[in-house]
Amino acid sequence: MTEVSMKNRKKMYGGRWRGVKEFLKVYRKNKLGMIGLILIIIYVFIAIFAPYITPYNPYEKTGKPFIPPSPEHIFGTDELGRDIFSLTIYGTRISLFVGILATLLSAVIGSAVGILSGYFGGLIDDLLMRITDLFLIIPGIPFLIVLSVILGSNIWNIITVIAIISWPSTARLVRSETLSLKSRTFIEAAKLAGATDTYILTRHILVNVLPLISASIILTITRAIILEAGLSFLGLGDPTKISWGTMLYFADRYGAMFSSNPYYIIIPGVALSVLGLAFVFVSYAVDEIVNPRLRTRRLR
Amino acid sequence: MGLREYTIRRIIELIISLFLFSTISFIVFRMMPGDPSSLYLEEGILEPGMREAIRHMLGLDKPLWEQYLIYLKNTFTFTFGISFLYNKPAIEIIFSRKLLNTLALLLTSHGLAIVFGILLGVWAAWRRGKILDISSMIGAFILYSLPVFWVGIVMLLLFSVKMGLFPLSGTITAGVTYSNIFEYMADYIHHLILPATAITLIRLGGDYLITRNTMITIIGEDYIKTALAKGVPEKIVVWKHAARNAVLPIVTWVGLEIAVIFSGAVLTESVFSWDGIGKLIYDAALWRDYPVLEAAFFIIIFVTLLANFLTDLTYASLDPRVKYD
Amino acid sequence: MNSENNILLDIRKLRVYYVMSTGSVKAVDDVDLTIKNNEVVALVGESGCGKSTLAYSILRILPYPGEIISGEIIFNGMDLTKMDEEELRKKIRWRNISMIFQGAMNSLNPVMKIKDQLMEAIIYHEDAIEDVDAAYLKAIELIRRVGLDPDRVLNSYPHELSGGMKQRVVIAMSLLLNPRLVIADEPTTALDVTTQANIIDLLKDIQREIGISILLITHDLPVVAEIADRVYVMYAGKIVEYADIYSIFKNPQHPYTEGLINSVPSLVEGKLRKLTIMKGEPPDLINPPKGCRFHPRCPYKMDICEKEEPPPVKLKEGHVANCWLHVKR
Repeated sequence: MTEVSMKNRKKMYGGRWRGVKEFLKVYRKNKLGMIGLILIIIYVFIAIFAPYITPYNPYEKTGKPFIPPSPEHIFGTDELGRDIFSLTIYGTRISLFVGILATLLSAVIGSAVGILSGYFGGLIDDLLMRITDLFLIIPGIPFLIVLSVILGSNIWNIITVIAIISWPSTARLVRSETLSLKSRTFIEAAKLAGATDTYILTRHILVNVLPLISASIILTITRAIILEAGLSFLGLGDPTKISWGTMLYFADRYGAMFSSNPYYIIIPGVALSVLGLAFVFVSYAVDEIVNPRLRTRRLR
Repeated sequence: MGLREYTIRRIIELIISLFLFSTISFIVFRMMPGDPSSLYLEEGILEPGMREAIRHMLGLDKPLWEQYLIYLKNTFTFTFGISFLYNKPAIEIIFSRKLLNTLALLLTSHGLAIVFGILLGVWAAWRRGKILDISSMIGAFILYSLPVFWVGIVMLLLFSVKMGLFPLSGTITAGVTYSNIFEYMADYIHHLILPATAITLIRLGGDYLITRNTMITIIGEDYIKTALAKGVPEKIVVWKHAARNAVLPIVTWVGLEIAVIFSGAVLTESVFSWDGIGKLIYDAALWRDYPVLEAAFFIIIFVTLLANFLTDLTYASLDPRVKYD
Repeated sequence: MNSENNILLDIRKLRVYYVMSTGSVKAVDDVDLTIKNNEVVALVGESGCGKSTLAYSILRILPYPGEIISGEIIFNGMDLTKMDEEELRKKIRWRNISMIFQGAMNSLNPVMKIKDQLMEAIIYHEDAIEDVDAAYLKAIELIRRVGLDPDRVLNSYPHELSGGMKQRVVIAMSLLLNPRLVIADEPTTALDVTTQANIIDLLKDIQREIGISILLITHDLPVVAEIADRVYVMYAGKIVEYADIYSIFKNPQHPYTEGLINSVPSLVEGKLRKLTIMKGEPPDLINPPKGCRFHPRCPYKMDICEKEEPPPVKLKEGHVANCWLHVKR
């Protein structure tokens, strides 16, 4: 089994470009994965071309407050008479931006800590893992509340804050993958051949670990998107930017529930959940392909 | 190393971690811009001249190191100072009805989510690839992607506003006198159902997926094939051989999730105005009520560390391979 | 030995696929195999060629998403592929066919005591065993027979035993209900060389003593040479050659068999021979090569090998090779 999985991994990631092509070939056959990918592409498209899609300027009052859906406002209006559809379209930008950037930041910190810890071991490992464990048991949202109160509500702070609580799980995962890679023969061989630590870390370990943790990183995007919305829902979002969480905050605060336009509550949440789900699908598909445990066992 | 030495060592570690945390949280909380007095000032609650008096009363005019020593002493004697906002000892506010409310909410919802998650996950893993497995997995993905606060609002919209089945907020109906304890309990449970269901639904997805994936790894092990080949009936193989081993990683996972569980409570509690620790933390952060924040954090982290310790002990008692080291 | 009714297990035209959305892995494709009473049959091939899958399908314990697509597995006159699950469990699994799994390390449940794992086989066959106490005594006796101390072993958990000890336990366990066939799937991998030799000797002794049939699945040719009566060579889901042990080693007729034997230090002749390593990797079983599946790696490749699948060619009684080299045209 180990022989087969090693071969598969090498086949898939050894030759970079060929590996990517082969990956895409298998990925294309995964239905959920393709649904997720297409949804994400649609969302990205919406985010980029938001001004061309929206019928109204989302910042402007374009009707009476809380109008139920009508031909002019397909999802009605909010408490200030702004168009819900336009607001939701613009909200895509913040969610995607925060979700992806916070995840990237957390992946960078997590990978760095995990790789150093796993590769060097000893005192460095002990120290880094203790720190990781400390962060791991910090209750996320209370911590986020406090931090955003300290740092203030702007989008960069929100990204930083989400990254701070997301990196420890990545670090743990990367560390355990690094540990198992470290003992493989090709690393030993590289060491014997006189490769430097930096060379081994970047050219051998990082390159081999990244695909294995990619599924979990993609899943972090969903969590980051939900976290951003949660923070904004608590009124801690960036007040100058339109986001789904902020929309829900105002919807809740201004009693949209009792108003004539409940779509004010429904639409941002659906947009949020579908985007989250799309990343979950992609993560699942990547995991099916990359994680040899689920695949190669069948090939024996 | 025996169980005794192990326990002692873990307790020492626990105290060190608590010390580290309290130091960190001291630094973090005192870094907050504006102390409570300035906030009251902005809000026009206080007259300018009273500010110094308030600062003095709250001990905020002392040098930072002195504040730190006082803080440490207070922390480890469980006296977290007087709440700025409630004007009562912070610990009293935490260990009041609020903690019970939070525990009632979290224990019911997570208990249900874990039980159903494990049952469904084990079953789906064994029926892997069948239609019901695939559809329940997609269901779990959807649940996993839903934000808990939104599910909460939608449930309120549907079941409280539109149908009038459940109360809109709070833990009990305001202004009602109960003739007996059962009436009180019934009212409390009536209020509990929506928030507890919201959390259960959201958590079910994750609990289910982790069980299913763990089970799938374990089903691939040779000892499961051996048990089947031995002619052990399928049901026994699933529950006695596979699930028994799958429980181990799940126990670890639940231990690690305690922190996440507490943090989820903040959102749910604020949606349903559930009078618990989560809402308390939110209010305390907004009003810079340090003693309450510090006390709440300390208690949450204490509970989390304790829970981790307990999960490790549980793990050890379930897995004969574990040696205490 | 060669009469028809002496046949214990007869696999006919068996196809076992792993059905996936990305295509089916044809792990066992049109395989015929027979095992006679009291015979040790070896099934050899590289890892990933489908030999373990073949073993799992006999007991119908295929991992997801494996399925028996077609063919028959006749054991003692009954077709196992069509047998009712409960009947299979009671009458076949362990009662008649038991199995020793790949690698000693993982075939014992880590959270159960050895004693309980042995007794389990007995308890769930209660209709076959009249006296549980006697069965327990039998377990003790078997543990002793494989060279272990029952007092120490029975109350242990698997992790408290060494790899060799675990494999002995597994062998003892496989014999608990006096099966007629033991399938041994790589019984010696993950063991050190000395232990491997001991385990093989033990298997050989027991087989002679109590007269059971063994299906030995391995890629370890020295082990085969030591214990097997007949050998089936499997490549990419197909049997490419089978013969008695002497013919296989002295006179291999399929280029793949030849390659396998040449890649191991000399066995039969007892003199050094130049080692050759087979080129290439085992093929993808989702889209296996057309014609002869071995043709991309075959040193004697002809045009026809790429186009048509070679038929089985009977070279002499009991020696068959599927190769165009032997087809007279």
